[in-house]
Amino acid sequence: MLDQFLLGLSVVLQPTVLIYAFFGVFLGQLIGVLPGVGAITAISLLLPVTFYLDATTSMILLAGIYYGSQYGGSIASILMNLPGTPSSVVTCLEGYPLAQSNRAGLALFVAAFSSFVGGMVGVAILVLAAIPMTIIALKFGAPEYAMLVILGLLAASMIGTGSQIRSFAMVVLGIALGLVGADATTGYYRFVALPELADGISLVSLAMGLFGVSEIIRNASKRRPANAPHLSISMRDVIPTREQARSLGMPILRGSSIGSFFGALPGTGAAIASFMAYAMERRFSRSPEKFGKGHLPGLAAPESANNAASQTGFIPTLTLGVPGDAVMALIVGALILNGIIPGPRLMVDQPDLFWGVIASFFVGNIILLLINIPLIKLWVLLLRIPYQKLYPIIVVMICVGVYSHRTSVTDVVLTLAFGILGYLMKNYRFEPAPVLLGFVLGPLLEDNFRRTMLLYGGDFSVFVTRPISAVLVAGSVFLIGFAIFSSVSNRNKSNRATT
Amino acid sequence: MAEFDDQTDQSTVNRLVRGGVLLIAGLVMLFFAWGYPTGTINQMGPGFIPQTVGVLISVLAVAIIVIDLRNPEQEDVGQMHWRGLIFISAAIAIFAILVDVAGLVPSMFLAVAVSICADDDARPIPTLIYASIATLFGWLLFLVALGLPIPAFWR
Repeated sequence: MLDQFLLGLSVVLQPTVLIYAFFGVFLGQLIGVLPGVGAITAISLLLPVTFYLDATTSMILLAGIYYGSQYGGSIASILMNLPGTPSSVVTCLEGYPLAQSNRAGLALFVAAFSSFVGGMVGVAILVLAAIPMTIIALKFGAPEYAMLVILGLLAASMIGTGSQIRSFAMVVLGIALGLVGADATTGYYRFVALPELADGISLVSLAMGLFGVSEIIRNASKRRPANAPHLSISMRDVIPTREQARSLGMPILRGSSIGSFFGALPGTGAAIASFMAYAMERRFSRSPEKFGKGHLPGLAAPESANNAASQTGFIPTLTLGVPGDAVMALIVGALILNGIIPGPRLMVDQPDLFWGVIASFFVGNIILLLINIPLIKLWVLLLRIPYQKLYPIIVVMICVGVYSHRTSVTDVVLTLAFGILGYLMKNYRFEPAPVLLGFVLGPLLEDNFRRTMLLYGGDFSVFVTRPISAVLVAGSVFLIGFAIFSSVSNRNKSNRATT
Repeated sequence: MAEFDDQTDQSTVNRLVRGGVLLIAGLVMLFFAWGYPTGTINQMGPGFIPQTVGVLISVLAVAIIVIDLRNPEQEDVGQMHWRGLIFISAAIAIFAILVDVAGLVPSMFLAVAVSICADDDARPIPTLIYASIATLFGWLLFLVALGLPIPAFWR
């Protein structure tokens, strides 16, 4: 294991790769700081760029944006009470009160340090789990893959925020969009309304439309309160006292464990992990009344949780090739577009890519810790840029990026269509993220399901007679049962409340 | 009370729209997928999954309509930003129409200028200055630095 990790390090420490790793985490942190631009938007924006890079560097770049944004997200939360990413919503609860009582520097340091420890724990678990997971994954046949994808899609729609049935409908809609184009097995054209659609809908168009254009439409004409902070941080109030530091050990450890666990599960991710860690910390605390008023453990636990989760999220993505959430789906999509099929063969066939990416997380977290506090003045400056000055440039970057990908005007028009769709969906309480997950996983599901039926002569019992597949089926049944149970009990509760 | 009834009628239609559009999408899908060869269960044709997905979407859409109609007290539809919607859409559409005909520089300039108009406070002179600077940087980034194979101007 150590040998492989060292192999990975040797890949990352090549100067060109290191530059991309730095660029990725830097950009991620910047994106996380800017409210209104999320990691998923940034990754969709950079998708076309990755076609000019090799697979390893594009993975390192895109992954860096993702976990880098987890660091950056806490900065806007602490200083302005504006969560830059969904997972830093709880960071506002403790971080902003700290900033208001002139302890912003301390809050930023604790957030950065907890993020670092959480990230490192996540990387360690990823390294430990990679080989065993791959050994299990190599036993996976078509039925296991089909069931795993179904479990992942169900989990993504059941556990997330908002209505479960709506999320599930969006997953299915994503699968439908993934069907457009030539059928992979027979070459039969499906839903090809225009000749340009023969190759299918481009992931770039879908992601940039749903997450880039729709967000710009939503935010362009919205006023944002210009309360950019004027703060002077001296190094003296940044470092916690010995007593404070001691009170943070257990919360960071608990947060990292919760984060690592929820990150590796399909469907849950950094946002849920941070909420769970905060709730858990409050329950464990001997002084729960301090929460919400700038309590350091309440800041440290969720910060370490979301960063641990953003690292362990790569376990299913890298070993099974099955992404757990929309960001991972984009990263898998980028790999596929680069001609690499993620899955258990990845570690065997391309160890330098596999371990290089993992080692880049290790290096990236160190870079993030080092640049976080010294660059705080720059981040504060960035928070003063009004969104009105930013979005026209993003519009042009989306247009040029989509167009240059396949030199296709159709792709630009599709991006616009998905942008309007994504905007309307959000307004009508439909989440766009499951669409992307369904789009990426749909072809995988269809392929493996059809192959299973072919191999086992149309016999459905194969899904429950093979042990791993049976476990996955049980998981899916449990999720559906849980969803029905919780919606029924919710209705009972609301009925009781109204009568 | 009369006022309330009127509002309820309108919001019923509103609530129908959400699942309704999805139902139409499912039915349109089924309409096209119906002609695709289905094959047999152990030798599935390309039509099997599309038909299944079409049925699933339609069923889910009906379920969403029923749920939306039964729960009248759900939060309202998010506020529409017409100005943003119109100008951002126009900016991208202009880019799509012009880029093949007029080249990258004019289409970038117009895309920036039109998208700035989505902001309520946009004023003509700053818009033109901003669009010119953004186009200059775009030209430097995309054509000089990255060397994208897109013509800068019309030929």
